Formats: sequence, structure tokens, C-alpha cells
Amino acid sequence: MLALEQYHLDNGLRVVLNEDHSAPLVAINLWYHVGSKNERPGRTGFAHLFEHMLFSGSQHVGNNEHFRYVQSVGGVLNGTTFFDRTNYFETLPSNYLALGLWLESDRMGFFLPALTQEKLDIQRDVVKEERRQRYDNVPYGTAFERLLNLSYSPDYSYHWPTIGSMEDLGAASLDDVRSFFSTWYRPDNCTLTIVGDFSSDEAKTLVDQYFGEIAPGGSFPPFDLERKPFGHEARETFASHVQLPRVYRLYHLPKMGEPDWIHADLLTTILAADKASRLDRALVHEQQIAQDVAMYVLPTESTGILMLQATAREGVQIEAIEAAVDEEIARVAIGGVTEDEMTRARNRAEIEFAHQLETFDARADLIGMMSTYFGDPTKVDRWLDPYRTATAENLAHVARKYLIPENRVTSLFIPET
Amino acid sequence: MPIDRTTAPSPDPPRPYHFPHVTRTTLPNGLRVLVAENHNAPLVSLRALVRSGADHDTRQTAGLASLTADLLDEGAGDRDAIRLAEDVGILGGALATGADWDASYISLDVLSGNADPATAIFGDVIARPELPADGLERVRAERLNEILQQRNEPSAIAGKRFANLLYGTGAYGNSIIGNAETVSRLTIEDVRRFFEQHYIPNNSAVVVSGDIESAAAVALMDRALRDWPRRDEVPRPNVIAQEIDASRIYVIDRPQAVQSEIRVGHIGVARSSEDYFPLSVMNAIFGGVFNSRINLNLRERHGYTYGARSQFAFRRQAGPFVIAAPVRNEVTRESVSEVLAELRRIRTGDIEDYELDDTKSYLMGVFPATVQTASDIASRLVDMELYGLPEDYFDRYRENIAAVSKEGIAHVAQKYLDPDRVLIVIVGNAQEIREPLGTLGIPIHDLDIDGNKLAVG
Repeated sequence: MLALEQYHLDNGLRVVLNEDHSAPLVAINLWYHVGSKNERPGRTGFAHLFEHMLFSGSQHVGNNEHFRYVQSVGGVLNGTTFFDRTNYFETLPSNYLALGLWLESDRMGFFLPALTQEKLDIQRDVVKEERRQRYDNVPYGTAFERLLNLSYSPDYSYHWPTIGSMEDLGAASLDDVRSFFSTWYRPDNCTLTIVGDFSSDEAKTLVDQYFGEIAPGGSFPPFDLERKPFGHEARETFASHVQLPRVYRLYHLPKMGEPDWIHADLLTTILAADKASRLDRALVHEQQIAQDVAMYVLPTESTGILMLQATAREGVQIEAIEAAVDEEIARVAIGGVTEDEMTRARNRAEIEFAHQLETFDARADLIGMMSTYFGDPTKVDRWLDPYRTATAENLAHVARKYLIPENRVTSLFIPET
Repeated sequence: MPIDRTTAPSPDPPRPYHFPHVTRTTLPNGLRVLVAENHNAPLVSLRALVRSGADHDTRQTAGLASLTADLLDEGAGDRDAIRLAEDVGILGGALATGADWDASYISLDVLSGNADPATAIFGDVIARPELPADGLERVRAERLNEILQQRNEPSAIAGKRFANLLYGTGAYGNSIIGNAETVSRLTIEDVRRFFEQHYIPNNSAVVVSGDIESAAAVALMDRALRDWPRRDEVPRPNVIAQEIDASRIYVIDRPQAVQSEIRVGHIGVARSSEDYFPLSVMNAIFGGVFNSRINLNLRERHGYTYGARSQFAFRRQAGPFVIAAPVRNEVTRESVSEVLAELRRIRTGDIEDYELDDTKSYLMGVFPATVQTASDIASRLVDMELYGLPEDYFDRYRENIAAVSKEGIAHVAQKYLDPDRVLIVIVGNAQEIREPLGTLGIPIHDLDIDGNKLAVG
């Protein structure tokens, strides 16, 4: 059990403390419960662009000074955006806890006075370059975007990826920034987690001093997201600048944390984690028709996602890869998995979880996620329980219920001729 | 009373950091065993270092060191490849093998309760791999497909061409993973010979880090590896770089490109350089961290890129100094021009107090955050062994950084950076970028992605 202490400030900020004096470090981590799913068509990519803006200074912190304050004392920092949340974090030498809280509270409470058109224009250009670098200029770069487009109807906001479209990035205005900030960036939409070498009493005093005076926002805008299953497979074949054909699939799942999502997580280990897992063994090691296979579930809050990808070797048709994948999935659906496989999958879950708890920053992030998605930071103590009690039959059930054509979306990337 | 937000709060007194105590033992066969106890998490990290890597590859055997490393987990002891993966999986382990320029590596991370069986597997993988012929065919096919895939990856193309132009046919001019020709030709005998010559205890070290008693760790390694036979070491070949007499631009056309992958640089220095500390500070100011000059310039001032970085590849012999930036097509010339201007500026020694102070305190302060895990600590010990760093290296790291002055930075910038003799490689849309680049006054050569010269047209 982690020694967690949690409480709320009057303005609604949830605070979670985890003292650990094993290193003279402190990890400060904020999860804001807002992400690209809160965007609207025409402004895709905005939540992520906004994340960039939050590093460009606030009323008492100059442009680029946020990075400078943290790095110049030996700290490391970053932020990330996903469908359901945006996180900001820094790990500092523990004697600089107050510095980190000062910086984070300044951008939570005093961001707008420092906002300028010039900063927005620069960050818009930077994000466009990020899109070019990671999506448009590399082979298979748009695969996830294409899958999402096929997987959800346009009014379901997982329809587009976090990076957004070039056109929408171009359309973002200062008014959009102000309104997004006022709507979502507020203490009652945030979990502040602190892990490391501090005294709980001192931390509470500092948190109160820096965050206590920030006003909560008004009511949240109504937000309702319900996925309507298509009832059939959505498929496309996309020719582009790639050398080897690759199949990408998205299988719909219940949202993260539901029993079937956990069982699907274990099943991905049995199917595609190392040489002994089934898809690797059959497609890569024995038949030698695939270059690589990968399967994983995504940490998503509104609906569940299982991703599968497999790359054909030179000269192998992508149809052969799809057939071989389907054959292995059918073997699980019909014949189930072995106790040996269950043990390996559970042990891998154990060690991966232990690795996440090992560093202050990853531990803080995990706590922030439990708080944000499940409303309960202490769920971290029980997270592995369903992994430990899962049965072989649970996993076969996932294969039968979810890994079926009607529940999947397929995008085939093939070389342009 | 509201708190004063107008100035940054001052820090508490710093709390001490101590790198874990390291136990060093040498087994009778010459194998060094390093152990660092750290009981914060129920994990143990096992590492092996073999002090031979792709620097031993020749033009004819490019890729051999990394193929050999890849074959280590194709069966070891009395387990075939699948059984090996199953046995590692039962322990909740993650096994990885690989090679870089300086060395070959094996790592196995497990829950600490499984350290005993894990060490037995680990010993088999490093000392008793099967190196089967059918395993080579599997790995070879995978490797050839990987080489094929890289032909569409702009960053890989730029890196490969930059290294090849800088080092020619010397080892650092190859690709670590080899090329289609050499990988097609290498035989299982080549792999076994490389293994026999280089995977020997007196050319290796093993590291155990994490939740285990030192004496127990040494005993486990002794049991697993005491029979590993010692042999004579093979001398290390010299890496020779091409002399750059004047700056040149090489453009590799990628008609579909929406960004230019830019590499600018020249030969750097070896890890053993006496100027290692001033060079590290200088590079951090120039392009090594987010708030470095070239990133602030190209990203935060101009919005040309998502990120620009520079690096001295400190290898056993002088690796490259290289600046890397992907930028959109229409600002390719401006970006190269800004990079060259920054190179000239840092050589003047005109460095602001805050740049020096911030950078030194970053390098001094960030160390504990980078060694939080058993695996991080193991990596540091592997580095110490590989580069022959003194046992008090991490204890004296802070004072070595603290001693760096503006004069020292100016000195190494002038000694090791030469803006008038740089190699510039750009993978991008030639039709859009080539004409503006012409105005820089630097000769431009056109290459195809394999490095063949094209007629200028």
C-alpha cells in the first residue's frame, strides 16, 4: 500500500501527497480533466496547442522562463495531451518544492494576463512542425489518425487525433485560448499529486498558500459522449510512401478499468509481447511472413481501444498477414489460453506496474490518472487485483466478444506503386 | 495574507544525494562484477557489457556486431529461442540484447524474488548462446526488411548519409545495423567467430543493481559465469575520419517531403578527452537542452521546428559533433543560416552569466533525477566500466562541472567547433529547397539515398 494522503481545497482542487524520502527529489504532477475530446469540429488540435501555450509564461513568469526556472535548478519537466486529459509535471531537487508550486499555481491562476497574439502564432507554428515531424513526413505517420476517422462518427470526439488538423490549428484564435482556459483550467478540474522527499505538513501549507486563492470556475459545459456501434467492420486500403505493407486495426472495448478491458490487456501480452507470444511466434518466428506485430490497449476514459498492427515482410501480401492474425485470434476464441500463458501475462503486468511505481514521476502520474479517471487515487493500491484473479476463460471471452470483424476497424497501408 | 508571487520562492537548504555504494569484484577468469544495492523497489537489473561493438565491423562485415548481439536470444544453454522467451516470461522478465559503436550489451530486469533463476538464464545468454544457423536466417531476413524500411525514414537517411560522408569506409561510416549487401553475405561462421573473439570474460563486465544483497549477487554471477573461458583480447581498430577542407551541402531529394531533415556538423572528440566537462557545458548551452541557443532560436523565436538539438557523440574514439533539426521546407535556408550563425557566436566566447550559471546548475542538479531506478543505476555503472571512469567519478562530477568557466568554454568552442568546415546534409524536397540554399554561398552536391552522386541539373 502506498502511503497516500488526499484532501480537497475549498476551491475544489484535489491534492494527493505521497511522502518518500528515498531520494532528495520531489515530483509535482497536475492532471487537468480536459483533452482533445473536449474540442469541437473546426478546432481540432486545440487542447494540445493550449498545452504549449501554458509553457509560454504567466503573469509573474516570463516567456520561456518556466522551462528556465525548472532546468536551472536541475529539474526536468514536460506536459502531454491525450483524448481525456492533459498533464503537466516536473521533478525537482526536493528543496525546490515551493518553486514548482509557485510555477504551477501561476499558470493555473494567472495565465491570461500574459497571453499575446505573438506567443500564440509562434506556438501554432511549432505545433504544425510537430505534426509534420511526427505524422506527415514519416512512413505510416497518419495511421492512427486514419483509424480514428474510420472508427467513430464525426460528432464523437475521438474521431480526430490529439494533434488536430493543419487547417484547424491555423484557425485557433486568442479568444479560443481565453475561453478554453476559463472553461477547463481551474482548480476544481485538476488533481495535484506530489510524490517524494517533503514533509506533509510543509507541503499542505505551501499548497494552501499558492493554490488556495485561485477561484473555482462556474458550472462545466454539458458533455455527453456516447459511441454508436456501426455493426459492421469499417475498412480502407491506403497507398502511400511506405516500403512494407502494414495492417492497422482498432478493436472497440469497454473503457479503461472495466473487467473486459483488463482481460484484453492481459490477452495482448499472450498474443504479442515477446518471441513466445502467439502472434510473434506464428507470424514472425515460424512462418516468417511478418516483420513485426504489436498489440496494446490504450488508457482511455470514454470508450476502450485495443490496437493491433502487423507489418508484412517484403514480397508478402497483406492478406496473408490478416489471415494469419485471424487464425491465431480464432485459436484463442475456440481453444482458450494455457495456465502457463496466464502466469507469464500476470507476471509481466506485475513487473510493469512495479516499474511505474519505481520513479517518483511515473508514480505521481499513475496516481493522477487514478484520481482523474476513477475519482479515487487509492485505486492505485488495488489496480493489480483484477489482473491477479483473471482466468483463462476471461481472456477467451474477450477474444470471442471483441476480437471479431463486426467490432473492428481496419486500415491497410500499402506501398504506392 | 496572500503570498508574494512576484519573485520565485527561495529554496530550502539542499538535501544530500549519495550514489549507491558499489561493490567491485573480479572473478578468476577476469570478469568484473559490479553490484549496487538499492532496496527502494522489488526489482533487480542485470547487465552485461562486452567491450566490442560495431567499431570492429569493417566495410565488408558492416552489421556483424549487432547481428551477433541479436542472435544471443535465439537460444542459449539448453533452451531454444521460444523456450528462452518462455522462461524469461515466467520470471516476469524483460530480456534485451544489442550493440552500439563501443560495445555489446545484454540486460535482464526481473522482480527481485526471481534474481536467482534470472542470473542462470543471463549467464547462458552471454556465455553459452546457441547461435543457430536457422536463427541467423530469421534475424537476417528481419534485418534486411528493417534496412528496406529505413529507405523511407528521413531521419534515418540523414543520419546514415551524414556518418558515411564524415567517416567514409571507416567503421563509424557504416550503419550499426549494416547494409543490404553485407547483411546478405554474413555467415553463421562470421557470427560465431565474432562471438568467440569478443565475448570473453576479460573483455566484459557484469552489473547487478537493485533489491539484492551484494554478496548474494556476486555469488550468483560467480555460479553462472565462473566457467566462461578466458581468451586473448583482440586489438581495437582505429577509426579514421575524412578531413573536411571546406563546407559542403549535400541534398538528398525526397520529393514527398514536407520537412527538411537537417544535419550540420563535423568530427567531435573521444569520451576520454580532457575537455569532456567544458565541452559538455558548452554543448548544453549551444544545443543540448530545451533552453539552449539553437532551440530557443529555431523553435521559440522563429517557429521553424518542433525541436533543434546538438550533440557530441562521445565514443571511445572521436564520434561526430552534430546538430539536428527537422524544419518546414520554406525555411530550410534560414535554418541552416541561423545554425551557422550560432556556431560562430558561441566561438566568440560571448556567454551571458545566466547561461553559464543556469547550465552548470542544471547539469549538477539533474543527476539524482536521472538515476532513480535500478536500471538507471546499472546503466551508469556500465558506462563507468566501458569508459574506464574513476571510482569517484559520480562523487566528483559536481565539482568538475562547477569548475567550468567562460574562458574554458570559449577555449573548447574555438578548439572543437569549425563553422567554416562543416558537413551539411539535408534530406528534403530538392525542388523547393535547393534554389534558396544556393544563396548561402556553400557548394551543393546532390546525392541519391544510397549516397551516389547525381549530376547537378
